[in-house]
Amino acid sequence: MMALRELTQGDKKVPVLHSNNGPALVGLVTIAAHLAQEAKRPELLGGSAEHKALVQQWLEYRLTKVDGCHKDDIKTILKDLNSYLEDKVYLAGNQFTLADTLMYYGIHHIIVDLAIQEKEKHMNVTRWFDHVQHYTGVRHHLPPVVVLRNRVYTSGHH
Amino acid sequence: MALNLTINSSNPPLGALLTAEHVKGSVNVSVEEGKDNKLCVSQSVQFSDLNSITRYLARLAPSLGLYGSNMLEQTEVDHWLEFSAQRVCGQSGLAAALGELDKALELRTFLVGHSLTLADICVWAALKGSSEWQSMQTQAGAFSHVARWFAFLGSQVPFTAVGHKYTNSKAPSRNSNSE
Repeated sequence: MMALRELTQGDKKVPVLHSNNGPALVGLVTIAAHLAQEAKRPELLGGSAEHKALVQQWLEYRLTKVDGCHKDDIKTILKDLNSYLEDKVYLAGNQFTLADTLMYYGIHHIIVDLAIQEKEKHMNVTRWFDHVQHYTGVRHHLPPVVVLRNRVYTSGHH
Repeated sequence: MALNLTINSSNPPLGALLTAEHVKGSVNVSVEEGKDNKLCVSQSVQFSDLNSITRYLARLAPSLGLYGSNMLEQTEVDHWLEFSAQRVCGQSGLAAALGELDKALELRTFLVGHSLTLADICVWAALKGSSEWQSMQTQAGAFSHVARWFAFLGSQVPFTAVGHKYTNSKAPSRNSNSE
């Protein structure tokens, strides 16, 4: 048995997980990592030492940069992510991890409001986002974001 | 149903080997080295064309979705099978083909739909066998979307297995291996 509650710390609400065995766990990333272990999916936290560190880095980025970001910060976040994702399929390289899930949930409200030109401008973010929203079991109740199909058919061949 | 795939060991057909590797959980297919590529389905039926071999293997295991999940995706897969045979392995400049491929991959993780299909396998295999692409890869920033997609697939399990086993004997790409 586990129970998820909210705790008010200052002006922020923080999730708390109570379970029958062990102490209560506090904080989004802590709880998410615990649930991945409970579900016997430790690979979601990364394989090698380097891979694990990368996952942690992006989980922290989500908490410190993305959550509660101001309107002016959104441009910077999109720009950073866009150049980072140019040569990557997932945030932590070539394997899907918890970092992808939590970043997807964290920036969904930003991407949903982007104009089509903005999505084209941040092409690598858009591609990653579209891939994650179609990843089995990730999107749930969130509204899908429309992404243009590829443009291969618009140009004539030969 | 037991199938037998014979491969030309001096110029292994990577696309067919990758497809065989992907379907081996659902289809009983054995691989033998020989002089020519052919897939023996029965005593009277055999395929020697690479695209026919990969298509047949993919159709035997529909649950894997290697041939796309609807009619539009199937047609897209066919488009890329032709593209890999005509444009990547063909004589006409690879740069033009890569430009087109790069554009198609801007907003895509996989070429067709949201998971791996024959399109990825066959275009990847054709590029892997191209010495021109190997030398282009050393130039940073050239066809960055193709480079990302190529490296991503190359890091996935069936690709690494087949890559290690067969690429050392791979001869520089030729237009065709049938005389």
